[in-house]
Amino acid sequence: MNANGITDAVRADFDACLADADEGGALELAVGLVASGVSAEDVLLGLVAPAQVRVGERWASGEWTVAREHAATHVSRLTVDAAAAAAPVSGGSPGQVLVACGDGEWHVLPSHILAEVLRLRGFQVRSLGGSVSPGELLSCVHQTGPDVVALSCTLTFNLPHAHRQIETCRCAGVPVMAGGPGFGPEGTWAYALGADLYAADARDAAEALLRRWPPVRCGRSSVQAAAVEEYAVLVRRRPELLAHLAYVLRDVFPGLRARSDSPSSTDSPGTSGSSDTSVREHEEGTDFLGRLLDSLAAAVFVDDDRVFTGQLAFATAYFSARSVEPRCLVTMTDALADRLHGSPRTLDTLAAGRRSLVTRETDSRRPE
Amino acid sequence: MTGDGGSDGRGVWGCAPARLGELLDLVDEAVVICDRVDGPVRGFNRAAARLFPGLRPGSPVSMSSAAPLARAAARRAERFHAVHGGRRLRGRLHTAGGPAVWLVHQVSGAQEAEAALFEERDRSAFLEETTRRLGASLHHGRSARALVEMVIPRLADASVVVLPASGRRTRWHRAGPGDARSAGEVAVETLERVPKVSDALYGLQPRPAVIRPRELAALDDVMPGEFVRGEEALVVQLGAGGVPAGALIMLRGPERARLEAADIELAHRFAERAGLALATAALYSQQAHTMAVLQAGLAPEPLPAVDGLRLGAAYRPAAEALRISGDYYHVAPCPAGGVTFFFGDVSGKGAEAAVLAGHVRQSMRTLAMVRRGPDPLGDLQLLNDLVISAGHRFTTLVTGSARPRGDGSVKVEIASGGHLFPLTLRGDGRVEEIVCEGMLVGAVPDPSFGRTEFRLEPGELMLLYSDGLTEARGGVSGREIYGDERLVDALASCVGMQAPSVAERLELLTTEWLAGRPHDDISLLTLQAPPRRGSPPHRRSESPESPKSPEGPGGSASAGEPGSP
Repeated sequence: MNANGITDAVRADFDACLADADEGGALELAVGLVASGVSAEDVLLGLVAPAQVRVGERWASGEWTVAREHAATHVSRLTVDAAAAAAPVSGGSPGQVLVACGDGEWHVLPSHILAEVLRLRGFQVRSLGGSVSPGELLSCVHQTGPDVVALSCTLTFNLPHAHRQIETCRCAGVPVMAGGPGFGPEGTWAYALGADLYAADARDAAEALLRRWPPVRCGRSSVQAAAVEEYAVLVRRRPELLAHLAYVLRDVFPGLRARSDSPSSTDSPGTSGSSDTSVREHEEGTDFLGRLLDSLAAAVFVDDDRVFTGQLAFATAYFSARSVEPRCLVTMTDALADRLHGSPRTLDTLAAGRRSLVTRETDSRRPE
Repeated sequence: MTGDGGSDGRGVWGCAPARLGELLDLVDEAVVICDRVDGPVRGFNRAAARLFPGLRPGSPVSMSSAAPLARAAARRAERFHAVHGGRRLRGRLHTAGGPAVWLVHQVSGAQEAEAALFEERDRSAFLEETTRRLGASLHHGRSARALVEMVIPRLADASVVVLPASGRRTRWHRAGPGDARSAGEVAVETLERVPKVSDALYGLQPRPAVIRPRELAALDDVMPGEFVRGEEALVVQLGAGGVPAGALIMLRGPERARLEAADIELAHRFAERAGLALATAALYSQQAHTMAVLQAGLAPEPLPAVDGLRLGAAYRPAAEALRISGDYYHVAPCPAGGVTFFFGDVSGKGAEAAVLAGHVRQSMRTLAMVRRGPDPLGDLQLLNDLVISAGHRFTTLVTGSARPRGDGSVKVEIASGGHLFPLTLRGDGRVEEIVCEGMLVGAVPDPSFGRTEFRLEPGELMLLYSDGLTEARGGVSGREIYGDERLVDALASCVGMQAPSVAERLELLTTEWLAGRPHDDISLLTLQAPPRRGSPPHRRSESPESPKSPEGPGGSASAGEPGSP
């Protein structure tokens, strides 16, 4: 793959810049490519985006700390700015696009790349950045009257939030283009939530918009009332379910032991300096369980088990990379099923999650 | 798809056309076939002969032979309802590709009532959709665009809305025919040459008015070309009570049936709703514009790019939809290198706090212009008098300067008026408080303020933050405050990160802690001495007793960007 002047050597150089958080080197490389005739769009989509995928993988595999991953991401972001600034903007302004991340969505780089690609194609772009609340989005829509809102979602457990954003836009009469891996394979969940358009990447998005301008509202949410009711149960009972999980998993899950053994310490967290670390670890542990619970809720919401099984697959890999026994995930699904008898859809999703875990476990043992 | 018809829903005829007449006699509906609408009658079935005994082949339908058909033909209407010889009749004309065929049937009272009910239901649905779609949009231009689209095809084939004039020219939006959309401006003088349109625009035409195409000739540029010689048009006034909101012109193509009384009535009811929505949107847009200008004046300015320093900030006002806050900060480059900065938090939140924050910001900048050299303590004293005179609110404030040194370190001097102590992140991951005592600004006359200085070695970072961050309530229970300890831990985990990404990560962690709950104004400012090139910034200090605990659940604490867009 060395089409467009982005050779494997260039990729390796750029990866090295990200690894060292060397912004000078990264910017020089990217701007150099643009100056030598590579299109900025190719630099953003062919160099920065794939490198950033590898950054995410290095974090997930435990190779990099969060800090290192953030430092690398920041360099990617500066690179996007610099490469886009070094390129000419095509003429004409077909219209106004508002780019936003869903509520709770902090993966800003994909939406940043989208904003720059659209700007280079001549669109007028306004970008709202990370984690935009529906109120903020609505206020911006009313004030600026965009022709389309481009909504980015990277993590599937944010889908119910994305639904609120899409509904907000729908009510305001503005079509929504959805994008990002959070919306599932071929944007399945984007359409289920009522998005009008889906684009796999920034180039797709630009081309879809240019092909048929202005975009029209045509999406329809297929989220079912019964699903929303069960989702609401999971949201309402989240604190209680989390506490239960923390108790059940106290011996197998990292960091949970410290507090669940002495529940009375809840009133005065961290007053004695020595227990601080374990309190934080406990919080990190429950945070992680909270994400699993959120993806269960999201799976129920969009009525697709894959939202949950996908997150379980991620958790399994994440644990294996950190020498935690992934078997505790099966214990977790059982513990939840125990508490959620009144929620048939949730039970089905949990059963599917359990099956996926057991299958993966037997698969991984068979070859040896 | 129908099962027993043809594959495309057409009938299937296998019998000889010669017997067609006999077959038509079996039909209950009256069938009259003419060469043209006004041409001679070619044939009619038994039912037609019963209804219209005067019909004769070879002569056109007339008032004496078939009055309802003749009247409809004169009006060029494709459908009619009529009472004829004591019967209620309903008819329609079929002309596509050949002779004119009238199909007429007798309706019973019950059918009549049912049909009326369906039509009324249809009209209500249309009006409800109008209210729903227009009620949701507060953007003036978008509302106007939606409005012209909405009347197609229910009321018109093309439509134009002319918005109230704000000067000598005024804007218009057009939709149709088909997918065509356009917008532009027209001189008010030109509009006034079409009295019915200008009357509607000035709120002087309470009922819809039918207008002939000739009368619209002056508006050639505004009207769609194909319709210039078209049918009658309808001009409707849009407004909310006494406030005019625009004039709507609805046009029908030559193919289309002419406007009937029911259409005009529906257009009137549509205009009442649309006018209200458009007037509201116009008002909102004016206010939003004013608001945006004020907001821009109150929001922090973008951070400057300065050699030898890295800067980052995050700003999340309590009123997220309004983007104004009682928190404020400002960083300005110095001609001699480095920056001066200030950071503060006015008591309270919302517009009142934001206005005082704006005062303080402007005053600080003015002071910076008139000062010969830095005098942070003197600045704080002057501000104290200003804030006291401004009313009952007070503010915390840190002001200072940061100057890069030859060795890559940065010398920071601060003076504080009652603000939370800044935190520093040292190279080894320690987090230290920079103690700098001082009283609130604007609380008492002649207060005392503290002053201190310290160094940031390459890679080290200073954090200024407002109490909205540490007092954010959330967590699993939703009631626990975020607290100093979580902040210190979070900051300690940021070794090796750049100032902007530290600011963003702290914002991320607090926002996740809040999980959508309401919060106070949150802002933070990070200032960093850039790390030495070539020094590996990511030596992770592994604590022996905690083997890698999960730290970024599914990316919750991570910004690993696995794809795009």
